Amino acid sequence: MKKTYLYWLLLPGLLFLAVFMIIPIVLTIGSTLFKEGSFTFAGYLQFFKDPYFLKILLTTLEVSVASTLLSVLLGFPVAYYISQKAPRRKGVLLALAIFPLLTSPVVRSFSWMVILGRKGLINNALIWLGIVDKPLEILYTPVAMMIGMLHLFLPMMIISLVGVLENIDSDLITAAQSLGASRVKAFRKVVFPLAMPGLIIGGILVFVGSLTAYTTPALLGGKQRVISTFLYQNAMTLNDWFSASVIATIMIAITFVVVGLMNKLSNKLNPKG
Amino acid sequence: MSLLTLDHISVAYDNQLILKDFNLSIEQGQLVSLLGPSGCGKTTTLRLIAGFLVAKDGKFMFGGKDYTRVPVNKRNFGFVFQSYALFPHLSVFENVAFGLRLRKMKEDEVKRRVLRILEVVSLAGFEKRFPRELSGGQRQRVAIARALVIEPDLLLFDEPLSNLDANLRVSMRVEIRRIQQELGITTVYVSHDQEECFSISDRVAIMNQGNIEQLDAPSTIFRYPATEYVARFIGFQNFLHFSERQDTDGEIELTLGSQKFKAIKHQGTSHPDARKGAFRPDDLALTEQENRLTDNVLPGIIKVSTYLGRSYQYAVETEYGEFTVNQEMDTPYLSGQRINLIFPKEKMVLVE
Repeated sequence: MKKTYLYWLLLPGLLFLAVFMIIPIVLTIGSTLFKEGSFTFAGYLQFFKDPYFLKILLTTLEVSVASTLLSVLLGFPVAYYISQKAPRRKGVLLALAIFPLLTSPVVRSFSWMVILGRKGLINNALIWLGIVDKPLEILYTPVAMMIGMLHLFLPMMIISLVGVLENIDSDLITAAQSLGASRVKAFRKVVFPLAMPGLIIGGILVFVGSLTAYTTPALLGGKQRVISTFLYQNAMTLNDWFSASVIATIMIAITFVVVGLMNKLSNKLNPKG
Repeated sequence: MSLLTLDHISVAYDNQLILKDFNLSIEQGQLVSLLGPSGCGKTTTLRLIAGFLVAKDGKFMFGGKDYTRVPVNKRNFGFVFQSYALFPHLSVFENVAFGLRLRKMKEDEVKRRVLRILEVVSLAGFEKRFPRELSGGQRQRVAIARALVIEPDLLLFDEPLSNLDANLRVSMRVEIRRIQQELGITTVYVSHDQEECFSISDRVAIMNQGNIEQLDAPSTIFRYPATEYVARFIGFQNFLHFSERQDTDGEIELTLGSQKFKAIKHQGTSHPDARKGAFRPDDLALTEQENRLTDNVLPGIIKVSTYLGRSYQYAVETEYGEFTVNQEMDTPYLSGQRINLIFPKEKMVLVE
């Protein structure tokens, strides 16, 4: 017996998504393809010919890719450590790991401004130690944005990695070792491929998060623009909704491409994951 | 000389000694089982041999070399896990080839060896499957193939059959024994299943609280247990605690209170000072006759009578405790009945 009536339960959710997400997105994308009543790609051409926009796009991608890669490098050891702990301690450590998510992005960014600024903690320490003569320009650079993003999204990577790592049977590692694998080899050939699903999900969360983040790059980037701040500027300051819609569509496209690539990568590295 | 020797080994876990002053030696080509209840230290012993644990004290010699500090990946021992521990992201072929690839073997040689060993474990044609597409018995055989293909110097099994159903367990243990004998590979096998260990082993070590109580051929253990613990483990339920023992030619005279008992000397390994007489329930006899008050008889009262189908089981209360007796009879004794309990001298096994 098919319980067709169960499908009706989907209706409220679908309706909500349709009215508040699908229809607006379709309208946004649609509006970018028509200018003065005729179908055109002019909006996109204009953007991709503009060196200023291309530079913003490049900076955004650089910052997002860098924070994704760094979140893997920093997150993996932490996640591995947490996953090896007893359940009770695991809970405490995970709570600590997601702590950055619990503070407001504004507060968090301001504290980074204090740390990274010309007279901030880092520059003071470097000068005091005699490593540099004059303060380094860290704040209001892509590096500052990346640090802020990493701080914000590292917990995402840690959580999704802990999820897969704690399900890897420790016997698998001992088995690999008993077959002649060193610890490093056992990690590379067993733990890493099995962690791939978590790595991909974590990677997508960090990348898309970094790509679309607004507050952190707005506060730590200074005059440096990323796509999201550029979008805001177009929409709110310049009141150019057409351009803003084009930018939004480009962001959506990038997100889809990246998610697709990551999934492909995951299939290649772990066919049965 | 033994292939493998554990010499005064101690192992601690969270500051608790699991093995203390532990000794074991195993001959080339034998299959030796470690048998005992959980917590007796059998798995710890196996993991120590494998190199997953490091001894706190003592020496582990293998093939005349000191292996105490040799890391796991340099030992060339095959280990079969209770959970099988197959790599879920690799096909059967790649699981088995794992150890060979680490040895930087040429691709065609890898292929030749993997296919040959899969034939040995009757899994030819399964190369492309993934572990989750296999049944429990098939997974187990992949695990065995993976451990065998590296041509290990020693094969270690950690309760390999405990996750299989009863029928499969029997056929798999025959299989394990066949492969072990075919390849002549020295094997240490851990299990808590008595029948399993006795059926496949050359020798069985019965373990209790981190010690080996007895290490002998299965038939020897079954007939001549050395200690009360071993005797109880294999089904002896009745024990007489004698106060004195006197050995004469072929016979042993024992004293229980004011009574004399006799036992026959046998081939077993039991200690010359062993003074506990052990009997299986089937080995004791009951009689109502009072006529010959010979040796090896105690008067008693039937406490409980239980119908077992082929026989009756009686709990008999005597001056020296309660005894369990199985006896075939058409008309059973009734509880409360006075009875004489015979302890046949040829059935008595003296244990520590």
